[in-house]
Amino acid sequence: MPPPTERLADAQSAERSARELGANDVPAAQLSLKLAEEQTAQAQKAVADGNNERADGLLLRAKADAELAIAEAREKGADVNGQRAVQAADAQKSTNAVQGAVK
Amino acid sequence: MRNVSLLVAFFGTLVAGGCAPAMPPQDLVTARSAYDHASKGSAQALDPTDVHTAKEQLDVAEAAFSNDGDTQNTKDQAYLAVRKSELAEVHARTMQAKSAQDGVVNAMHADETAAVAKTSAALGQSKAQLASQSLALNDEKTARADAEKRAAQANADLAKLASVKQDARGTVITLSGSVLFASAKSDLLPSAQLKLNDVATALIKEDPLSKMVVEGHTDSQGGASYNQDLSQHRADSVRNYLVERGVAGDRISAQGFGSTRSIADNTSADGRANNRRVEIVVAPSAPAP
Repeated sequence: MPPPTERLADAQSAERSARELGANDVPAAQLSLKLAEEQTAQAQKAVADGNNERADGLLLRAKADAELAIAEAREKGADVNGQRAVQAADAQKSTNAVQGAVK
Repeated sequence: MRNVSLLVAFFGTLVAGGCAPAMPPQDLVTARSAYDHASKGSAQALDPTDVHTAKEQLDVAEAAFSNDGDTQNTKDQAYLAVRKSELAEVHARTMQAKSAQDGVVNAMHADETAAVAKTSAALGQSKAQLASQSLALNDEKTARADAEKRAAQANADLAKLASVKQDARGTVITLSGSVLFASAKSDLLPSAQLKLNDVATALIKEDPLSKMVVEGHTDSQGGASYNQDLSQHRADSVRNYLVERGVAGDRISAQGFGSTRSIADNTSADGRANNRRVEIVVAPSAPAP
């Protein structure tokens, strides 16, 4: 089996996306990303050892972990946006009440 | 001996043929549990596509275990199945958060729209009130200007007929006695009646609510009692004539003063002529409350 270079590129690309989305600032996403990075490192070692088949399986896992990290980072983003929307709505209600537009 | 051989052969077949169910790897157990959780939770309703993908991956893992047993590939496939189920749940939660956010934003927009509509309505009402007030103000201005114009016109009309002046008593219209009456008489001359017609018209026009006093005055020639009677009769004549011409009777009274209120020297003919007079004193009406 040849070295799984394409799977390696896929996994690393997913890890990069997770980092760019702020996965390291979200505990759950940070854990998933760390797992992905560790398994990618193990895969690279397996390739170096000539165990391409093991490397292929590790890279599949790494990519799945990185994709989960991306989703978890986005989930946090949606939560933050939701909280901001609630705050904005509260602020607007207060403003309207002060201005006497809505009672 | 034969029985023992059969027993050994039976167990040998069991082991060699794999008939005993092998224990699934922990990864596969976890994968089944993760899928069970995802498929029974909100993910099934919110993100059925990802749940289906998780099921497909679990099936791959199950097939790998069924075909190859507890191999590294089975574990890898099971691991992927766990992640796919988790991914479906995370996506579902994200959708819920976004949906809640949309709800808040929509409610906020609805509030804002309602507030704008309310403010707009209030503004419209204020504008209408302002327009109405402006109209009323214009009407009032016009009415006041008309009244002032009428008063000015009435004064101008009076000024053509007689001397008009303002003093502490109000507007004083002085008519020469020689114009109104023949000597020693208190009946109005026909020419005087024409003049008084115009005076009556002006008085009615100027201020329909004002009170007035017709004062009769004589010069100092003759007895005081005679002059007093003459001045009273002359004042009465003028009053009565004005009432006939439409001036309300309760607005106008008459009083004779004889020669007690001379305005000129009684020793000269001109002075005496000036003293023989009738004055109509118009007191301004009380301002409206």
